[in-house]
Parts: sequence; structure tokens; C-alpha cells
Amino acid sequence: MSLAHRKLLQLFGLLGAPTVFLLVFFFGPLLIMLVYSFLTPGLYGGVDWIFSHLNYGRILGWADTRYEKFDPVYIAIFLRSLKLAALTVLASLLVCYPAAFWISRMRPGMRDFAIFLVTLPFFVSLIVRLFAWVLILRPTGFLNQGLMGLGLTGAPLEFLYTDFAVILGMTYVFIPFMFLPLYGSIEKLDMAQIEASSDLGATRVQTFRKVILPATLPGIVGGSVITFIPALGNFIVPSVLGGAKVLMIGNLIEQQFLSARNWPFGSALAMLVMSAVLLLLIAQFRLAKKEAQS
Amino acid sequence: MILRRLLSLYGLFFFVFVYAPILLVVVYSFNANTLNMMIWDGFTLDWYRQLFGMETSLTQSATYVDSTDQLWGAVRTSLIVALSTSVFSTVCGTALALAVARYRFRLARFYRTLMMLPMIMPDIVLGIALLIFFITIGMNLSMLTIIIGQSTFLISYVFVTVSARLAEVDTSVEEASADLGAIPAQTFRKVTLPGIAPGILGGWLLAFIISMDDLVITYFIAGTGNTTLPIHIWGLLRRGIKPEINAIATLMLLFTLVIAAAGLYFRSRRQK
Repeated sequence: MSLAHRKLLQLFGLLGAPTVFLLVFFFGPLLIMLVYSFLTPGLYGGVDWIFSHLNYGRILGWADTRYEKFDPVYIAIFLRSLKLAALTVLASLLVCYPAAFWISRMRPGMRDFAIFLVTLPFFVSLIVRLFAWVLILRPTGFLNQGLMGLGLTGAPLEFLYTDFAVILGMTYVFIPFMFLPLYGSIEKLDMAQIEASSDLGATRVQTFRKVILPATLPGIVGGSVITFIPALGNFIVPSVLGGAKVLMIGNLIEQQFLSARNWPFGSALAMLVMSAVLLLLIAQFRLAKKEAQS
Repeated sequence: MILRRLLSLYGLFFFVFVYAPILLVVVYSFNANTLNMMIWDGFTLDWYRQLFGMETSLTQSATYVDSTDQLWGAVRTSLIVALSTSVFSTVCGTALALAVARYRFRLARFYRTLMMLPMIMPDIVLGIALLIFFITIGMNLSMLTIIIGQSTFLISYVFVTVSARLAEVDTSVEEASADLGAIPAQTFRKVTLPGIAPGILGGWLLAFIISMDDLVITYFIAGTGNTTLPIHIWGLLRRGIKPEINAIATLMLLFTLVIAAAGLYFRSRRQK
């Protein structure tokens, strides 16, 4: 056997099994979900193999008038989820940017330890971290007790089961997602440029806007994208911290699958989330490519 | 400098924000108050005793024995799933990483992009897609479906971790080994494998921890009777907040910290 042949055989040995596994169990399911989104729901759950575009119609503006009415509530929930995810990204940026800046100016040993401390909570069970916020935000929770103890408010305020709680919870659990890309670009900042800018008479705000912000833009965009994606489809955080009051598209999909048992409609909703994610990724990819060229 | 002071102050607040909730759970797992969890009523280990099925002064009702059994059943399921999933994903992820890093072939770049997809896919989408798939092909939901489902995205995590390590390893040592007459299998066993071992170990630990904690994908494909630990706690939370959740959470915390510390230890050893 020639060397080239042996190499090819080795390559197939390494690639073969994992590739087949991913084709069958990763791409297979996504393909079937796509097919399901064009089928008709069965009367008692399950599906009828009759192709139809009405699942999408029910979301976007046309529906099978014999069974369903078009209800703008679905698109409203989707838009709301986009809004909550965007606000989460904004909050994460505000929380992480100064922190990343602070840590990037530390001594090397301290710096590594600080980064370790920021990423450590990622390894702590998600459900535990969310539970902690329930303890804090409840009417009898820490925040309210503190506020009442200080005499700032007479009666407990409602923090839990609000948009605020959901955004706070998502910001908290996605901190490492935003922090690491931001830190990556802030660490590379050229101090000489910043000094030059202030030597040339720029104010702090001008230096930040004209020098620091553009230089850290790739980190900002990268962190925003990988925070936005899990925030958009999330249903755990809104379930725990939003209760029945804050419904996101993820909760709606869960309901369609586990309570309403309308799998085709649930699949169509999931396709909506996936299209949004893909559009975002393509946009980011284009942007990064443009940046690399200039 | 005022600005620098402000920044340091902010940094302090940042770490309080990150760690206060977690510390709170730990502290209150030792609270003796049974009625209002938030009012400190003295130190107790009763919640921990309860978790281990011991009798406590607080509660001696029969339901607690049940909940203890359920809890440890869930722990066992989680451990079996996490062990199988992490080992399987580590083998697959490492094989793919090796192929992409050490062989020249046309699809290598394609593979690199492809392996990002399972990590980026929103977990609810992957979860329901897997559910539909298993039902459609007539596979009963079981521990096996959980293991398969989690592996689909954990392979990517291992791939990325091992690839990062492979990029650091000097290929000239491998070439030297071949030049000195080692057959490929020898080079692999004596040179390549020891070089990337920290990456493989790191990928395995990462996969293990993520598998132990996965809620969304497992939730959709667990079926009935396969309760993992996160799903068990999810169920407890839905029925109302009870103090023993603090104790479970604290034990989980301890467990993850030990694993994360082990991971860190191996990482620091690699840097020497």
C-alpha cells in the first residue's frame, strides 16, 4: 500500500464514524423539523402527511380559515423576544465592558486569576444560578428586605415575574459569553495610540469614541452575537424568573410541543428562531470579512 | 486618578454581582428556619441530613424518604449520562480535530465551520428537532436518546478544545519522530497523544460538566422516567421553593468547583 493510500485510509478512519453520527443525529433532526413545519397537525397530536404552508401563515398573516384564525399575537411574542434579547445584549455590554477594561489593566498573575473568577460561574449549574435570583427578587427576598430596611419603600415591590427580572437573569447567566470576546479585543488595545490621542488634545470622551471604541468593535460585535443567540430562544430564564407573565418565543415553542401537541406549528416557530439566528450570523460573517479586507 | 479609582470600585461591584447570588444559596442552606427561608434562624445541617435520607428534627414525614430516593436516582442518571456522553464526544471530537489539523484535504475548512454549528444552534431548536426525529424513526425515549442528543453538540466543544491544543503543539517534533524511523502508530502514541493530552482531558471535563448541567435538550428527549439532576431541580422549583434546594445546589456547586479546579490544575501544569 502506498503512503498516499495509507494516509487516505487513516483520514477516513478518523472522520468516518463522527461524520456519519453528526449527519444522522444532527442534520437529520433539523431536516425533519423543516419538513414537519410544512405538514398538517393531526387531530390527536402527531402529524398528517399533508403538505401545507399554513403553519407559517398562522404566524405571518394568512391561515386556514376552517380551523385557525390569523392571530398577530405570535409575531408580537417573537418581536418581544427580539426586544428582550437586544436589551440583554445591551445590559451585558454595560456590565462587562468596564469590567473587562479594569481586568485588562491588572498585573498578569492577578489578571489570569480574575478571568478565571469571571468564567467560573459558567460551570455552576444554570438552574442553581437562576434559583439564587428567585431568592433575591421575591417579594420576601433580599432586595425587598434591603429596600424596606433602608426605608426606601414601605411595601415589597414586584421584581420577580417582570421583564426586568428576565433581562437581569439572562444578563447574569450570559456574562462569560459577553466578557471573553470583549476582553479579547480590549487586551489588544494599543496604549500608545490612546496616549497619542490625549497628547494631541483629545478629551477623554473623544479618545473613547474615536480610538478605543473602534478598536474594540470586533469584541463588541462578537460578544453581542453570541449573547443574543441563546437569549432569543431561551425558555428556562423566562420560565423561572418571568413566570406566566413574561412569555418569550422559546416558551411558546415549548408549549406547542409539550402541551398543545401541535408539532408542525411548533416546528414553524422554531424555524422562525433559526432563520433569525442564521441571518444574524451571515451579517456578522460579512462584517468580519469586510473588516479583514480593509 | 479619579477615573482609575472609579473603575476599581466598579470592578468590585462587578464581582459582588457575579458571586453574591451564589454565596447566598450556600449561606442559606445552613439556615434553621423552616417557614421563611430568608429569615436567619440559626445554623443547622438538617437540610443536608435530609438529602442523605437521615431523620431530622424538622421533618419526619414519609414523603421525605421518597424525595431522597428520587434525588439520588436523578444523580445516578445524570452521572451515567454524563460519563457516557463525555467519553463518546471526546473520542469523536478528538478524531475530528486530529483529522482537520494533521491531514490536508479539501473539506478541512468546511469541517471547521461545520463544527461551530452545533454550538451556535439555539438549544431549544436542537431539542425539539431531536424529539421529532426520535419519535419519527420510532426510537423510544430513554437514557440512550439523551446520550445521543447531548453528544451532537458536545462533540463540537471537544473539537474546539482539542483543536486549540493541536495548534499549539509543534509539528516538527512529530516530523522528527517520523524521520527517526518511528512508524505512524508509534509517533501518535509517543509524541502526538502526550502532546495533546491536556486538551483532550480539558475537553472531556468540559463535556462532562456541560452534560451534567444540560437542561433544555435533555428536557425534550428524556421522556418519562429518565430524570436527570437538573430536571429534578426544575421540577422542585416548579412546585415551589423549598429550603432543601439550597442544600442540593450547594453540593452541586462543590462538585463543579472540584472539577473546575482539576481542569485548572491540568491547565497550569501544561503551561510549565
